[in-house]
Amino acid sequence: MTIVRSPLVTEFETTLEAAQGEIARFDSWAALASFACSLDLNPVARSGLPLDDIETPRSVEAIADRPVGVTQAALAVAETGSLLLVEPDPLDRYVSLLTRHLIVAVREEDIVPTLADAFGWLAAQPRAAAYATFVTGPSRTADIERSLTIGVQGPSRLTAAILTERRP
Amino acid sequence: MTSFTTRYRRAAADPHLRGGLLDFQRSWRVSRDGQMARLEERSGKSFDQLRGEFAQTKDDTLARLDDYIAEFREQAEAAGATVVEVETAQDALEYITAICRARGIDLIVKSKSMVSEEIELNHHLEAANIRAIETDLGEWLLQLASERPSHLVMPAIHQRRERVAALLGEELEQEFDPDDIPAMVASARGGLREHFLKAGAGLTGANALIAETGSIMLVTNEGNARLVTSLPKIHFVTAGIEKLIPSWADAQRQLQLLPRSATAQHLSTYTTCITGAQPGKEMHIILLDNGRRSMAADPQIADALRCIRCGACANVCPPYQVVGGHAFGHIYTGAIGLVNTPFHHGPEHAAGPQSLCVSCGACAEVCPVDIPLPEQILQLRSRNAHAPLWERLALQFWARPRWFRLGARLGALASPLLRRLPLPPRHRWRTLPPIPGRTARQRIAARRPQPPIAATEAGERNVSLFLQCLTDTLLPEAADAAARLLEAAGARVYVPPKQHCCGLPAFDAGDWETARRMAKQTITALEEHPGRDIVTPAASCQIAMQRHWPQLLADDPPWRARGEVIARRSYDLAEYLETTARLPDGALAGPPNDADDSYAVHRFCQGSNVMGWDARVERLVARLTGAEPEPLREAATCCGFGGLTSITAPEVGQGILERKLDCVAETDAETLVTNNPGCVLHLRAGAEARRMPHRTQHYAEYLAARLP
Repeated sequence: MTIVRSPLVTEFETTLEAAQGEIARFDSWAALASFACSLDLNPVARSGLPLDDIETPRSVEAIADRPVGVTQAALAVAETGSLLLVEPDPLDRYVSLLTRHLIVAVREEDIVPTLADAFGWLAAQPRAAAYATFVTGPSRTADIERSLTIGVQGPSRLTAAILTERRP
Repeated sequence: MTSFTTRYRRAAADPHLRGGLLDFQRSWRVSRDGQMARLEERSGKSFDQLRGEFAQTKDDTLARLDDYIAEFREQAEAAGATVVEVETAQDALEYITAICRARGIDLIVKSKSMVSEEIELNHHLEAANIRAIETDLGEWLLQLASERPSHLVMPAIHQRRERVAALLGEELEQEFDPDDIPAMVASARGGLREHFLKAGAGLTGANALIAETGSIMLVTNEGNARLVTSLPKIHFVTAGIEKLIPSWADAQRQLQLLPRSATAQHLSTYTTCITGAQPGKEMHIILLDNGRRSMAADPQIADALRCIRCGACANVCPPYQVVGGHAFGHIYTGAIGLVNTPFHHGPEHAAGPQSLCVSCGACAEVCPVDIPLPEQILQLRSRNAHAPLWERLALQFWARPRWFRLGARLGALASPLLRRLPLPPRHRWRTLPPIPGRTARQRIAARRPQPPIAATEAGERNVSLFLQCLTDTLLPEAADAAARLLEAAGARVYVPPKQHCCGLPAFDAGDWETARRMAKQTITALEEHPGRDIVTPAASCQIAMQRHWPQLLADDPPWRARGEVIARRSYDLAEYLETTARLPDGALAGPPNDADDSYAVHRFCQGSNVMGWDARVERLVARLTGAEPEPLREAATCCGFGGLTSITAPEVGQGILERKLDCVAETDAETLVTNNPGCVLHLRAGAEARRMPHRTQHYAEYLAARLP
């Protein structure tokens, strides 16, 4: 079977990879969960995801520096390779910021063409706008002699996990 | 803070600094241009359109600033934040300190905030026994070194890896291998973690304040701002009032320009938008004036409030590359720092850095909000000029045609001797120009007109040749060549006898009173022959007439109008040779007097950056000679002459010239041609001192050598 990808998905993949992000595709949350568990025996996840076997710790200490974290993006932006994380709960932010390898689930149907589309969506969602972050690749700095170094305060690996399963 | 002179000397003596900044500027330019080209393609709009539209948004917002502040306040407070407007740095400091005292806070973690640098927050908090820890790696390194940022976006760009290893080693009591940058970065993660966990408050700046929802937008790459705004119970935001924008759509348009211009990324790693206080927490948004309202009320300066702090003006600035931001700036660095420092910190802190600007215009060309930085720098220089006595005397001498000519005659007599004496140590990277015995006007008067070689529209024209003061005395062969080319196209060329100097040297030096006198003298001299076209081989004078005179004579409408008439009649020689005096293609293809005629073109920086001439000289020379130029890297980057800068700050003139001549050395060109006499003199003096094999000529000379 050939997999036909929409140009939007291809663009998203290309731009995120250009920002040192990685791409994986899963047809279900279960497949995504086993991918996370294959990377580390004890991954952590933000609350509210359909991942029964993955822990959702309730303190910063229990999340910080864990090898693998899983979160979900409200949408993704093809133009910039960005994942929009809506995180009113600080614990969700610790998962996306303090784990070493972050896996961000995003439904294929939630990839929008442009940053303007994403800003339009945000402007219309006051609750989402309370704490929203576009993540475009892993954390980085070039503060020492302009040498690009991946992974400072945030994750050093970022994988966008594209879920091909449609919303029920 | 150490004095400007000390900072300048220290920077000028540091070859690693300029080497690192040169590599940075070059790689940034390539990446940024690539990003902008992709944005233009994607949006279907040119960079000028995109920046013009966003600049308009900023202008409209600033015109109704109080309305937008009120809207922002209402929305942010409805979302649980506290918004305070403060007038001075002191007010901001007192507010933050009072909240910390009231809440018993003794540790604040900060993400990068230029406003907090502007108000010198860390220093003040320390005096109040509150510890502030910078969590942006670059800012942290500065804090460990007790230094100030030397760049708006990459604050520690001046620090070398050995220094970083020593600073981190001392702080973390650990040995670091300077070449293992990832290990040093990783240690920052560990070293800062406990501070995040213990801090009672976090402080950020804001890249934008979105009025419609009372939201702040933060753009970072490390992720520290997200921790600063998540772990502690209190979030302080320090932001200038100019950061307001009306809507989310405007924020998105700012994001099209900001990361591309700052770090040449299409988007930074983290763009965070926060609306109001999060549950169980406090958010205090401190909106700072500190001179911004004075800027807004100043019609010549108000545009500078559009600034989105991308740092692009430093990334293309030739003097910045040579001395870095500690000399080229105060707390705000780069061209924008020369403009806003007088308003935020006082004119006394701006005068030294301002004296280093060479007015090349590269900053304005790349600014994503189209701020006329070079004009503003000159404007402020004119207001706060305190040039040394010798400079003021020299300008008075220059302003008087008779004194100037007498000086030139004496100089011609003394020139052979003077050229044999050693120059002062700070100037030994160049030679003194020889001063020919005969001026251009004498040469032109003494010879027969060049016979026309083709019929052009100039055959019916009378031309007043505006020589330029420097060209008349120091490069007479270039002015003569210009006259011969015009004559070859059939024009009758006259040299108006009373002409002297357009006023540019005094204008650049900030002595506008003298500059006005010189401009008026030139206007009068050129008005005597109203029917003639005015043509000049001196591109800088042409730009002075068209761009600087209106600024200079703004408060004197009758003279301004007379200047405009002269400017309308004036042409840069290269332009005239492509239009009215257009010789046929290949008209000068004949062999020159000597065998090799390979050439490269240095484009006068202002011609490209201010006038958009780009490859005008290349096209002209190639069309007339039939020979293409040798490619020259960074052809339009300043040569370092920069008016008086190369004399008052010789290390800057030297550093910029070295960069240029290194590019010239990469070519095989026998001749370096350029379109401005100042560049000819500067490039020639440096090449002679370096004993480089090529010769340096005005393009008129190069072309006229091929006349039959």
